[in-house]
Amino acid sequence: MMLLCLYAGALKAQDGCRNRLRIAVLETHNFSPVHPAVLYIEELGKALETDEAGVVSVDSICNGAYTVHVHGAGYEDHIEKITVSGNASVRIRVAYSEHSLQEVVVREEQHQTVLQTKSNLTTGALRQNSGRVLAEMLQSISGVSVLGTGATISKPVIHGLHSNRIVMLNNGIRQEDQQWGGEHAPNIDPFLAGSVSVIKGAASVRYGTDAIAGVVLVEPQPLRNDAGWNGELNLAAFSNNRMGAGSLMLEHGVRSVPGLSFRLQSSFKKGGNYRVPGYWVANTGVQELNYAAALAYRKLHYGAEVFYSRFNTGLGIYRGSHTGNRQDLEAAVASPRPLVPADFSYEIGRPRQEVTHDLLKLKLYADNRLGVWNLIYGMQRNFRQEYDVLRVENGKAQLNLTLTTQTLNLNLDHRPIGRLKGQIGLDGMVQDNRFRTGDRVFIPTYQAYNAAVYLIERYRQDNWLLEGGVRLDLRNYDMTNYEGPNQEKVRYHLQYRNVSGTLGFRQELKSGWLWSLTLAQAWRAPQANELFSAGLHHGAARVELGNRGLKPERSFSLNAATEYKWHQRLNLELSVYSQLIDDFIYLEPGEDVLTIRGYFKTFSFRQTRAWLNGADLDLSWDWTDDLRTTAKASVLRARDQRQKDWLILMPADRLTIATRYTTSLGRRWQECFAELEGRFVARQTRIPSDFDSIDFPRPPGSYAVLGASVGARIMAGRQPVYLSLAATNLLNTRYRDYLDVFRYFLDQPGTNIVLRLRVPFEFKTLKNNNQKNDNNE
Amino acid sequence: MNKTRVLTGALALISLTTMFGACGKKEDPIPVEQELITTLRLTVSDSMGISSVFDYRVENGFGNGGGTVEIDTLKLQPNQSYTMSVQVLNEQEDPVEDITQEVISESEDHLFLFISNPATGTGSVTTSNGSLDSLGRPFNQTVTVATGGAGSGTFTVYLMHDPTDKTGTTPATSGGETDVEAVFPVVIQ
Repeated sequence: MMLLCLYAGALKAQDGCRNRLRIAVLETHNFSPVHPAVLYIEELGKALETDEAGVVSVDSICNGAYTVHVHGAGYEDHIEKITVSGNASVRIRVAYSEHSLQEVVVREEQHQTVLQTKSNLTTGALRQNSGRVLAEMLQSISGVSVLGTGATISKPVIHGLHSNRIVMLNNGIRQEDQQWGGEHAPNIDPFLAGSVSVIKGAASVRYGTDAIAGVVLVEPQPLRNDAGWNGELNLAAFSNNRMGAGSLMLEHGVRSVPGLSFRLQSSFKKGGNYRVPGYWVANTGVQELNYAAALAYRKLHYGAEVFYSRFNTGLGIYRGSHTGNRQDLEAAVASPRPLVPADFSYEIGRPRQEVTHDLLKLKLYADNRLGVWNLIYGMQRNFRQEYDVLRVENGKAQLNLTLTTQTLNLNLDHRPIGRLKGQIGLDGMVQDNRFRTGDRVFIPTYQAYNAAVYLIERYRQDNWLLEGGVRLDLRNYDMTNYEGPNQEKVRYHLQYRNVSGTLGFRQELKSGWLWSLTLAQAWRAPQANELFSAGLHHGAARVELGNRGLKPERSFSLNAATEYKWHQRLNLELSVYSQLIDDFIYLEPGEDVLTIRGYFKTFSFRQTRAWLNGADLDLSWDWTDDLRTTAKASVLRARDQRQKDWLILMPADRLTIATRYTTSLGRRWQECFAELEGRFVARQTRIPSDFDSIDFPRPPGSYAVLGASVGARIMAGRQPVYLSLAATNLLNTRYRDYLDVFRYFLDQPGTNIVLRLRVPFEFKTLKNNNQKNDNNE
Repeated sequence: MNKTRVLTGALALISLTTMFGACGKKEDPIPVEQELITTLRLTVSDSMGISSVFDYRVENGFGNGGGTVEIDTLKLQPNQSYTMSVQVLNEQEDPVEDITQEVISESEDHLFLFISNPATGTGSVTTSNGSLDSLGRPFNQTVTVATGGAGSGTFTVYLMHDPTDKTGTTPATSGGETDVEAVFPVVIQ
C-alpha cells in the first residue's frame, strides 16, 4: 500500500546551514498534491502545513539527516528519512488510508476522463470569496464571464455561451433549475463546495446534451474517513449592501462503525439594497437560507452515500427594471441616475423571485472483476415563484413553476485492458415542468424523457495518451400549450436523437511542457421557451416569439492547449479554440407589434451557423518565493456565418492582472498575504451592423476596476483563525458591463469591503500523534 | 460482496419505481393573462350633458396571440369645452371587467396623462382641472377638455403606474411604468 519515492535534486551546496529544502507531498496512486497535511521534522522540532500544491519549504536548513513525519486526514501516516546536502527538492508519496481509497480514486478518474481544458477554483479561492454567488467566483477563471441582471442575479458565461448551453454538475448531479432563463441564477450554495472547476469546451459525451460551451463542476469536500469530530465556521460581512453571510459545518466519523461518517451544514445570507456610485438601488435585497446533510458508509470495495440539500432564496429585482414600454426604457436609458429613488432597506417588495431547490442524491459503488461500478440516483425539485408588479396587491405570485427531475446514472470504470482504460455507462432522466392554474402565460407544461448510452476509452503510452468517446442520446418532449386568440389547448410530441463524439490527444514533450488537442461534437435540443414563448419581457421592453420549427443545435469544436512550466518560476497555459455551431438558436428582430402599452419590438427565435474563435491565456511569474504576479486574458470572436456579421451579446476582450505577496510574521501571524488586482474589460465593438435596430444603446465603454485584499492565518494557541479583508471596485468607479441586463439603466456596484472570518476546528482523540503535538506547542 | 449486490439491486428498484411513478398523468394547468387591460374608453360630455364614447381596443392586450385592434377617432366640435372621464376595461372577461374602480382605489399609485399633438391651435385638445388622488395630488381620471379650431391631430392618453413625480405632465417627467398608451386620431369639425 505504501510506496516510497525520493528525488533529491541536490543543487549547488552553499555553506553548511543555508540550504533551502522543498518537500512535495503527493498521493501514491494519482499523484495529486496532499493538502492539507502536517509535516513534522523531528530534528528541527518544527511542524509545517502543506500548501495547495502539497508543498512545504524550509529556509536555512543545515546539511544532515532528517526524519519527516507526514500526517494528513484521510491518508496513512508516513515517516521518511531524508538527507540534506545543499539545496534539495524532495518528493514524498503517501497513500490514502484504506477505506477512503476507492472513493477518492474513482472521483479523480472520472474527472480526468475528458481531455477538454479544465480550470479549477482552488479551495483557497473559494474561501477568499466566501459569501459571494457562484458565477462571480467563476469569473476569476479565464474564458469565463458573467451574465448579470444587476448585482444580485448572475450566471456564468463560458466562451461566450451560457444558460442552456452550459451544464452544471452539483455534487455529481446535473442541476436542473430552469437554467434557460437569463435572469435565473444557478440555485447552488457555494458554501457547500470543496472544489469548483470549469471544463471549457464541449463535453457532451460524459455530461450529456447541452454541454456545448462547457461544464461547471461543483464538488463538496469528501467526507472524513477517520473517527472524530471536525467542523468549520465561516462568517462574512459586506459593506456595500450591508450583507451578512455565514455557514457552519459539522462532520463526524463514527468510531464504533469504521467507514461510517456524516456531515451537517447550514448557511445563510441577508443583504439589503446595494449601492452604485452615488445612489442606492431600489428593491435589490437578497436572502438565503440553505441546509445540507450527507451520510456515507465506505468500505474498501463498496460503499453508499446519501446526500440531501435545500437551497432557499429570495431576490429583490430593481423596481425600475419593470418597464411598461419602449418609451419608459428610453427614459431610463437617458437618465443619469436610477429613475426609482431609494434609500437603504432590507425590505424586498415586488418584483421579486423566491426559489426553493431540493436535491436528493443516492449513490452506491462497488468493484468486482470488471471494474468499479457506480449507481447514482438524483431527485431534484425546483420551485420558482415570481412576484410581479401589480396594480392591486393580492399577496400571490404570478408565476409558480415546479420543475421535478429524476436522473439515474450507471457507470462502469472498467479494469485496464492492456493500456486501455475507460468507462461505459447509461443515463436516464425524467422531467416534469408545470405551472399553476391562474399563473401568467410563460412556458408550457411539459414532460421530458432522456435516455443515453456512452463509452469513453483512453489509451496511454509513456508520455502521450489518446482518448475517444461516443454517446447516443434520445430525448422526448410532451408539451401542452395554449394558443391563438381563444387560447386553445394544443399538444405536441417532439422527439430528438443524436450522436455525440470526442477525440483527444495529449503529450508531454519534455519535462514541464505539455500540449493537447481535442475534437468534440455536441448537441442540444431546443428548449420550451425557444419553441413556445409568446410574451412580453418587461426588462427589455420587447416581445419574444417562440418557433415550433426549431431543429437541435449541433456543435463541432477543436481545442488546442499547451502548458509550460519553467524553473518553478513561470507557469503558462494557453488554450485556443474554434467552435462551429450549426443551427445556432438566436433572437432575430421582426415587425413591431401594437399592444395596449404602445408599440413593441418583436423578436423571433431563428437559426443560423455560428462560428466562435477565441483564446484564453493564464500566466504566472514568481519574482521570489513570496511574490507572484498572475495574468489572465481572454479574447473571443463570434461570427454569424449566414449573415456574415458579428453575433450579438458576446463578451468583450478582457485582461486581469494580480500581484500577491505572501509571508509569515512569526508563530502567531502566518500565511499573511496582500494582493492587488486590476481587471480591464474592453468595449465590445464587434456588434451586428444592424445593432441599433435590435438594441439600444450601443455596448458600454471599456472599464478598469481595482480590487485589493489582505489576510492572515492567526494562531490562537493551536487553533488557527483565518481573517481577511477584501475590497472590490476599490476606487468606486462608475462603469457598466455589456453582459449586464441592467446596463440600460444602472451602473455596476460601487466599492464593497468584505470582512471574512474562517475557523476550522477539530476534536480528535490522538493516539500516536501525542509526540507531534507536544512538540508543536 | 453479496451485501453489495443486494444494496445495488434495492436502490435500482427504488429509483426506477419512483421515476415511473412520477410519470402518472396530472391535470393540465391553465394560464391566465395577468391584470389584462384590453380597452381604454373616453367618455366625453358636452355642456348639454350629451356624451359620446371613444374606445381604444387591443383585443389581446399585450399582443399575445395576435388579436384585432380597433381605434375610434375622437370627433369633437371646434372651440368647445367638455368634461371627459377615462375608463380602463378588460373585455376578455364576460361580463366585462371595469378596472377603473381598482385604479381609483389605488389612485395615489396611478396617474392619467394627456398629450395633444398639436399642443395648441387648430386640431388641439387641451386638458385642465384634472381630478385628484386620495392625497390631493394629480390623478386626472376626469378632466376638463377644451378643443381648438377645426383641424386634425392626435390625442394620447397614458395610464402610469407608480409614478415618481405626480406633478409630471409627460411619462418622461412623471416617471413610473406605462400600463396603457392609447393614441387616438383627432378630427375637430
